[in-house]
Amino acid sequence: MKKYLFIITIFIGLLSVSCEDFLDVNTDPNNPVEVSPDLLLPVAQWYTADWLQQNRGVSHLGNMFMYNWSETYGFSWYDEEFKYLVTSTFYDKLFDESYSRALKQYSDLDGLDDEFIYYKAISKIMKVYHFQILVDLYGDIPYSEALMRGANATPVYDDAATIYADLLVQLTAAIDMINTGATAEVVTPPTYDDVMFGGDMVMWKQFANTLKMRILVRGQNTLSYAAELAAITAEGSGYISSDVIIQPGYAQEVNKQNPFWNELGWSVDGTVKLSNDATCATQWILDQLTANNDPRIDFIYEMPADGHMGVDQGSNPGDTHAADFVSNIGAGILKEAGMGANIFSLAESNFNQAEAALNMASGGDPEALYNAGVAASFAYLGAGDPATYLSQINNNVSYANSTNKLEAIITQKWTAVNGITAEQSWFDYTRTGYPANLPVSLMASTDDRPVRLFYPSSEIVANTANLPKQPNAFSAKIFWAN
Amino acid sequence: MKRFTMLFAGLLMLGVQVVNAQQRTITGKVTSSEDGTTLPGVSVAVKGTTTGTITNIDGNFTLGVSADAQALVFSFVGMTTKEVAIGSTDVIDVAMDPEVIGVDEVVVTAFGISRDKKAITYQTESVGSDELLVGATPRAAEGLVGKVAGLQVNVQDNGVNPNTQIILRGLRSVSGNNEALIVIDGAISSSGAFDDLNANDIESVNVLKGASAAALYGSRAANGAVIVVTKKGKAGDDFIVGYTNASTFETVSYMPSFQTAHGTGWDGEYNNIENTNWGPRFDGQLRQIGPTFADGTYQAVPYAPVENNLKDMYNTGSTYQNTLYVSGGDETGSFYMSLGNQNTKGIVPDDTYKRNTFRVNADKQIGKLKLTVNSSYFADETDVVGSTIGDQDRTFYWFVLNTPANIPLSTYSDWDNPNSFGYADNYYNAFYQNPYWAIGTNRNNDKTERLVANMSASYDILENLNFIVRGGVNTVNGTGKNWRARQTYDAVLQPYHSTVSSFVEDSGFKNTEYTGDALLSGDFSLTEDISLKAILGTSLYSRTYRYSMIRANNLSIDGFYDISNGTGENETTVDELQKSTVGFFGDLSFDYKKWAFLNVTGRQDYTSTLAEGNNGYFYPAFGAAVILTDAISSLSNNRVLSFAKLTASNSTVYNDLDPYQINERYTQSGAFPFGGINGFAKARTAVDDEISKEKIASTEFGANLAFFKGRLTFDATYFMTKTTDLITFTTSSDASGSEWLLTNIGELQGNGYELAVGGTVLELGDFTWDLNLNYFHYETIVNEINDESVDGEEVAIESYTGGYGTYAIEGEAFPQLKTVAYVRDGQGRVVVDGTSGNPVVGQIESQGKTTPDYIVGLSSAMNWKGLSLSATLDYRGGYVYYSQGSDAMEFTGRSMESVSSDRKDFVWPNSVINTGTDDAPVYVENNDVQISGGIMDFWQNQYNQIKENYVKDATAIKLRVVSLNYTLPSSLLAKTKVIEKVTIGIIGRNLFTVLPNEQYRFSDPEFRNTRSTDAANGIGIGGYMTSPPTRSFGFSVNVEF
Repeated sequence: MKKYLFIITIFIGLLSVSCEDFLDVNTDPNNPVEVSPDLLLPVAQWYTADWLQQNRGVSHLGNMFMYNWSETYGFSWYDEEFKYLVTSTFYDKLFDESYSRALKQYSDLDGLDDEFIYYKAISKIMKVYHFQILVDLYGDIPYSEALMRGANATPVYDDAATIYADLLVQLTAAIDMINTGATAEVVTPPTYDDVMFGGDMVMWKQFANTLKMRILVRGQNTLSYAAELAAITAEGSGYISSDVIIQPGYAQEVNKQNPFWNELGWSVDGTVKLSNDATCATQWILDQLTANNDPRIDFIYEMPADGHMGVDQGSNPGDTHAADFVSNIGAGILKEAGMGANIFSLAESNFNQAEAALNMASGGDPEALYNAGVAASFAYLGAGDPATYLSQINNNVSYANSTNKLEAIITQKWTAVNGITAEQSWFDYTRTGYPANLPVSLMASTDDRPVRLFYPSSEIVANTANLPKQPNAFSAKIFWAN
Repeated sequence: MKRFTMLFAGLLMLGVQVVNAQQRTITGKVTSSEDGTTLPGVSVAVKGTTTGTITNIDGNFTLGVSADAQALVFSFVGMTTKEVAIGSTDVIDVAMDPEVIGVDEVVVTAFGISRDKKAITYQTESVGSDELLVGATPRAAEGLVGKVAGLQVNVQDNGVNPNTQIILRGLRSVSGNNEALIVIDGAISSSGAFDDLNANDIESVNVLKGASAAALYGSRAANGAVIVVTKKGKAGDDFIVGYTNASTFETVSYMPSFQTAHGTGWDGEYNNIENTNWGPRFDGQLRQIGPTFADGTYQAVPYAPVENNLKDMYNTGSTYQNTLYVSGGDETGSFYMSLGNQNTKGIVPDDTYKRNTFRVNADKQIGKLKLTVNSSYFADETDVVGSTIGDQDRTFYWFVLNTPANIPLSTYSDWDNPNSFGYADNYYNAFYQNPYWAIGTNRNNDKTERLVANMSASYDILENLNFIVRGGVNTVNGTGKNWRARQTYDAVLQPYHSTVSSFVEDSGFKNTEYTGDALLSGDFSLTEDISLKAILGTSLYSRTYRYSMIRANNLSIDGFYDISNGTGENETTVDELQKSTVGFFGDLSFDYKKWAFLNVTGRQDYTSTLAEGNNGYFYPAFGAAVILTDAISSLSNNRVLSFAKLTASNSTVYNDLDPYQINERYTQSGAFPFGGINGFAKARTAVDDEISKEKIASTEFGANLAFFKGRLTFDATYFMTKTTDLITFTTSSDASGSEWLLTNIGELQGNGYELAVGGTVLELGDFTWDLNLNYFHYETIVNEINDESVDGEEVAIESYTGGYGTYAIEGEAFPQLKTVAYVRDGQGRVVVDGTSGNPVVGQIESQGKTTPDYIVGLSSAMNWKGLSLSATLDYRGGYVYYSQGSDAMEFTGRSMESVSSDRKDFVWPNSVINTGTDDAPVYVENNDVQISGGIMDFWQNQYNQIKENYVKDATAIKLRVVSLNYTLPSSLLAKTKVIEKVTIGIIGRNLFTVLPNEQYRFSDPEFRNTRSTDAANGIGIGGYMTSPPTRSFGFSVNVEF
């Protein structure tokens, strides 16, 4: 009897002593609750590269709508694109993943102490980068109430033009923050963890100015751009001087390949992806490039043994146009598994400046900027010296001989961003109508391509109360095109 | 017999006493007090010994007893056990009283506490071993289907080792776990452990339906509890050796309803390499299928439907279950041991499942101390086709379903032979692989082991004061090896196939749950009329879980599946979690004159998963019961009404969070690290800063009536639950920067009733027919959605791209299925586009609730001498589900709908065109504008957008079990002197399923697409991931020695 009571007493004693420790087990051993910004930034930038370059990513959409890419015989991968079947599930990840991946990750840097002011500035700049493209794709979007996570699970939609104006304010603020950081006593700058500029804050200021220019050029019909242009000049850092590349360390390894290469190029084991086989040039664009003796044709598109051949979008050309015979995506764009992701080309920056010089009295020399744009395109593609090409007197090749300078700039920009950031040329097309005579897909039931996307089904299910009515995808142009 | 004893005695801690000096002989006759008939087969034992016999065919017995024998114990099924003191006479005649069913039962309640059923203040229902085993289901949970009012068992898939989900009284929580708590032999356990039990080892299952019953279990009690008691040896059982075998054979009962008018092709044209069915109408002509080979030859098959071409790919599965058991006992101890083995071959070729179970239950009384151990060990091995097949990582069923009607699928089994049409390069389908190839090149192998053991020591401190401590462990660990072979393709023969990359995944997991309880209980007589049973106790629970996985990709050596064979960086995962709770509780049960009962319990819990300082909560519960037939003298000894009891109870319990959920955590992001650059991603789920426990209040009123001495019973219960501060994973707008939000949101109210009628409907001589009918109705309404972070009055619980999901919507039944719908005018006519003629794609709208309005279960048992015929039927109705399979297969053109107009354009029936504006619509009847693209495009791209098309009525009638058993007469066996009992039986399971409201069936509405969000009540999204529904036939044998 006493023996049992003794055991029981010990048992109860053990219970009560260890109770507090017993319950103190709610720390996740596998996932940290706090991490430093150098572990957040590279992920955010990696997300940005994915968003832009992956299969059916932002640039892919531009390549389809701008008649750059078509479909090899034997595949039926691009029916939706060729039918311009804009629905709530059409390219819906452009909306979803922009917010739920990249923007989420950038905005997590916003709450940092001022010691990390550079990170906060980078966050601002990259958010502008995303938000502008989102506005260009969708018009009104969640902005002022966006990214508040648990504090607001159903953000309201803000007016597109208002967002555009605020993006400029944000960029100015970001540049100010970088300047503040330069004189701060304690500041932790990003280094290798900034997989875009390696922590070079001057380059970030240049990128901010470059983004401002993209915004101003596109929004020139509604924005009062003069003061903004003056502010860029006054700021003095200028614009980017090289392509903006995200390079976390892509390599020919599972999950580590460049997203574009990984999804439209080759597998890790070196076998070609079906998506690569399935995707080829349109005949029309090959004809355009050939007509102007454009050497870039062999870099934007792969040269088959029997010479370049394309497929009209939405046609059924027969087995003469099988994968081996058509011009698939070229090696100037799909360079290698470890290539960085070009998220803003130097060429585009030059063309944007050229347009500003031409039509917005920004003060530069449009022809020089135009030529610099073409040169940057040649350089990125590895297409050699552009001098011979530019010396031709063809319309939209030689600036001087082009009948419509804006058309020349936009048309050249379209070629320059082909396969890289082709969505930009789609926005330009909606705004300017160039390149002229761009064919529509044979499967289309409309006269021209869409001018915007539908809000995604995720918003239909999760933000019903705020979601605007789906606009007409073919007529309801984004505000800057009106 | 006794030689077996010798054999096993050494293995046991407990001896079995079998020999006694015989000094006198007692004879007698046993009769029934009801009608005076003699009772054969009654067990007669000397109290306190293992000496005993059974009465012969005339009810007579003769038994030698020792001089010091005090009393004889008479026991017989259906009769109240009777003890008769041995006096001076050597003749003892006994009249036994029939047991009034459900009245004098003892039931096992929370913490293994036994209570007289009549003193219980809430509703419970028991299922005994025989009932449970009637269909020889390998999973005990399946044996419960249709037998308990208020119980819904969902068999969620159809693999060789299926998962089951047990829900009592519907749903109370939106995102939290709604599955009933499983308690095995007094220790908190898990549904996995229940599934892993050898069903033959189960003595009884007692279902504590409401939270009141289970309140003593604290936060885990909200969903009711299933109290499982495993077998024990019985005093006086002497020594039993038994063997059971059940062999069942399983076949596909139905495949989806697919069209058989059109075959391989695209956009109306025949195509020899398509998986889709958009070709022309079948014409019976011989046509090329698949590639043209180098020598110019090709495979040709008639362009005509092949009957059962998909079904014939499946085998007849088989399951053999064997159990060997021994049990015995005397007055101071008992034991039960069993060895079980199950060997299953699945309907998918090469799928196999094996398991072995071992059990030892023993108890021993040493003076005032009683020691008990219940332990079981389980090991299984699953070898099934992989789940990430091909370059698209699809499931097996996908490949089967993507086979056109004119393909003789079962002729492609020779996939490994380069000269066969089934070979990868030769196969007809240019986009999806041969399912037989999938079987040979993609395997998932899993092994698990589980040990469930609990030990208790019970000590009678005083006559009326007992102390019991109990320690239990439920630990399961497993390893998995999944692999996929690399497959390359000939670029000419198969230009559209991507290389399938190879991988091997090696994983391991371990989940260990410890429980410890200590209870002090006492019986006190407060006054002459009032007695009190009081319990004071404490309970500890801790769980640790660990999972690790390493995956190697792009293997160097074909067919060698080891991590060392990978190239590039391996992918790795380690996941661990830990949770602890501590509870203190008290239970007071007052008894007034054995007809009025009052029960008060309280429990204070502390959990590790909530913030310190806010992690304790108190659960009170109250219950009362009155036995009217004893309380009111005019009702007692009534010839019709034998028993009447009313109960009422109320309880409050809380649900806590899962471990770590309270904090948002970062996870290493996908591809990281890139060399020296590491990266962590912000959580995809946002967590409300003020997240806290959810509260569930339950009230129930019950009545239990028995008529004609228990020949007819009637039970009725009405219950209400109200859940406030619902812990919810709402789907947030992605624009919020999170995909889900974990928050407390709103209020859910459920109510319903259960009715059960049971009894002997017919009794003619030796023939009896017992019927049990139970009916369960409930409804859960969302009273309120009130979170400041959410605009609107609804939250999406589970949503899918394309526009469908389950929702909690204020004022509506929960969960509600919503999908993209047609646009209709005021008269319900479908609005079509004036130009294309296609139905306009509308908004997302409610389509109905996804849990049944009512469940009806019917069990029937007919007995005639040794023959018994049993059947269980259940009916669930008044709910819908989303058929993801039908949705996904629309692309392939095999839906019945796609041939409804012969693939031609047609005027959408009963449609209108809006000739006004969106804001001011004017609807004009549409008589001539036809839909466009009826040959293919309409179905793939227009019809498929309107997800309302895939909402199906889930109403189902299922004949779950039919079995016919024959027990050999004991007189026959008596001659053998060795064999004591032989029962043989024929079994049929799931013989038919009727889906009365589904025009075209796809799968079983009970099946669930994925397991990942079970806890999130993924009810109502039915899928195509698992094999088609099956039925089983077989036979069983039980022999006892």
